[in-house]
Amino acid sequence: MKYKDYYRILGVERSANEEVIKKAYRKLARKYHPDVSKEKDAEEKFKEVSEAYEVLKDADKRKAYDTMGFYQPGQEFRPPPDWEQQFRGGGAQDMEDLDLFELLSGLGIGRGGFRARGGGAGLRMPGQDYEVTAHLNVEDVARGTELEVPMTVSEVSGDGQLHRTTRTVKVRIPKGATQGQRLRVPGKGGAGHGGGPDGDLYVNIELKPHDLFRVTGHDLYLEVPVAPWEAALGAEVQIPTLDGRVSVKVPAASRAGQKLRVRGKGLPRPGGGEGDLYAVLQIVTPSVLSEREKELYRELQQASSFNPRGHFG
Amino acid sequence: MSTDRYEQTLLTEQLEVALEELARASGLMPQEIVELVEYGVFQPVAGSAEAASMSTWRFSARTITLGRRARRLKADFDLNLSGLALALTYLERIEELEAELERLRCQMLD
Repeated sequence: MKYKDYYRILGVERSANEEVIKKAYRKLARKYHPDVSKEKDAEEKFKEVSEAYEVLKDADKRKAYDTMGFYQPGQEFRPPPDWEQQFRGGGAQDMEDLDLFELLSGLGIGRGGFRARGGGAGLRMPGQDYEVTAHLNVEDVARGTELEVPMTVSEVSGDGQLHRTTRTVKVRIPKGATQGQRLRVPGKGGAGHGGGPDGDLYVNIELKPHDLFRVTGHDLYLEVPVAPWEAALGAEVQIPTLDGRVSVKVPAASRAGQKLRVRGKGLPRPGGGEGDLYAVLQIVTPSVLSEREKELYRELQQASSFNPRGHFG
Repeated sequence: MSTDRYEQTLLTEQLEVALEELARASGLMPQEIVELVEYGVFQPVAGSAEAASMSTWRFSARTITLGRRARRLKADFDLNLSGLALALTYLERIEELEAELERLRCQMLD
């Protein structure tokens, strides 16, 4: 089992009282709570912080934790021989594949640890819900896709022992998904106890940045560079979409930033239909001009009465 | 369109769930949901928002996501319901603004 230093995580002394621990937790929760925080790795950090608080705020769990002894964070360790006897009512089990927090949180259920959960006491508990984040390509959500989600979970085996195992859940992301949505996969969370239902798996959908398209809701935005003469005279240009190229008409006298809507070429919507693709025009000038091009520009300059800064007065 | 808990579903505006299902999936008590409806944080899509007609309430499935967040915030910050309602209102507002900002950024392609 790997050691976690809950005191260090909360930034408190080992002798800290309940009030100090609560204050430290509140401060860190405000900083890292994934529903509020913009910090990088907020979710991971908050998980550590709430685990630490969960153990240290509870006098029994804190005592059980302290009695395990002190080690370096991440260090492999075994609690002292009499620990099992004292806190779990005996019945040593192989602790190698156990998670420290799960071991400690099991203590609250009653003497005998996890065995009590499935036992004759009839304690009916629904399984825990799991939440994972899937990072998907824009192309994949447009078509719908299948995903294998690897999860490390704790399971109680037939002999009542708690084990950590890795299992893979196959998830179908249906057409219509987009950034920030959630998919619920019923029954794929933690196992229920005492006849309680299994938990659900929630998949948060995050889109990976795309080389060409930016996504907002079910609409796509695409930057389309055009030459000054194309913007001035109008042009028919080919642009990429998620399913092949289409031709769009750049009207004469187009401005930079002008949007051309290509109907139905966005992402499919869950209720049917599709979002749109917006081509946003960028007017680009060649970085190197030939003598002939310069000549033509000079000629245009002479011939044109256009004053782009006329409104300055 | 409605869903039961046995099918795999995207939690979108188009799907609807009843109060019991929202409570089960979010981990909030039905009474807490009733209060959050009274605060205007959750809105039933069909039927009246009066608590007397709660048996006919339907919520968009996206409310499950909001409800799960509400339950987390309430537990992790030890919030009472009026504090929770305020936090949820602000978070929703921030999300709307972020979405609007993202839409404008897309248009400008910065």
